[in-house]
Amino acid sequence: MKLAVAGKGGSGKTTISATLSRLLARRGHPVMAVDGDPNPNLSVALGMSREQRESLMRVPKDIMEMKEEGDARRLVMTRPVEEVTSEYAVEGPDGVSLMVMTGVDHAGAG
Amino acid sequence: MRGLLGELATGNGGGNAENGETVTLTDMEASIEHMSRATIRHVDAVLMVTEPYFRSLETVGRMAPLAKELGIPHVWAVANKVRSARDEEIIRSYCAEHGVEVGGVVPWDEAIQDADREGRALMDYEPAAPAVVAVGGIADLLENNVGGGNGRGERR
Repeated sequence: MKLAVAGKGGSGKTTISATLSRLLARRGHPVMAVDGDPNPNLSVALGMSREQRESLMRVPKDIMEMKEEGDARRLVMTRPVEEVTSEYAVEGPDGVSLMVMTGVDHAGAG
Repeated sequence: MRGLLGELATGNGGGNAENGETVTLTDMEASIEHMSRATIRHVDAVLMVTEPYFRSLETVGRMAPLAKELGIPHVWAVANKVRSARDEEIIRSYCAEHGVEVGGVVPWDEAIQDADREGRALMDYEPAAPAVVAVGGIADLLENNVGGGNGRGERR
């Protein structure tokens, strides 16, 4: 199940994202939370310890590259996803894993 | 980012296969219209969190058609910081006018600010807070409606 949580800044989307992640994990789902906000604070909302937060590294942009396919462009992984998650995902309360993305490229494929 | 999300969706995303499909939940930048379409195209559901104010609702009004155009199977508004029946009504009527389903109503909850002041998770600060209960309802909604057509309602 892949979910995206969006909303105007200050709408409370991070609190809802964190609480939903924790609840789904408690119900037995493996949960991978991804912080895609340029001002990331999902780690705190998830209740990660200072130690867990300090071990978080942002996933660099170069794990993906833009490929031209005819008139379409798409992002493809440059490294296996297992490698990326094992290097960058940090496990927090209730077993929720978190990855923090580096600023998303707005000029990407439209 | 879509590349990563797409990959996480197809494999088990590094999760424990015994426990079933990994849930990938992305806390997006404010609004999906700022993201490249390629980023969001492959999600199963979008939750658009909104407060009972016009400018917040307008964001929903702009995002919903884009999400639907991209073919995202489930697009829900989530009413947040709702203090009164009037607040809820404002959100419900806006969403009805714009053809957006309301997936949950989360009440205004002092526990959120209190937890935030202490730098703690709401789940740890007050696990039975009304806002947590309401988000539990959203988890029910997702388990029952999203996820490879094999509904996970039985997991509750």
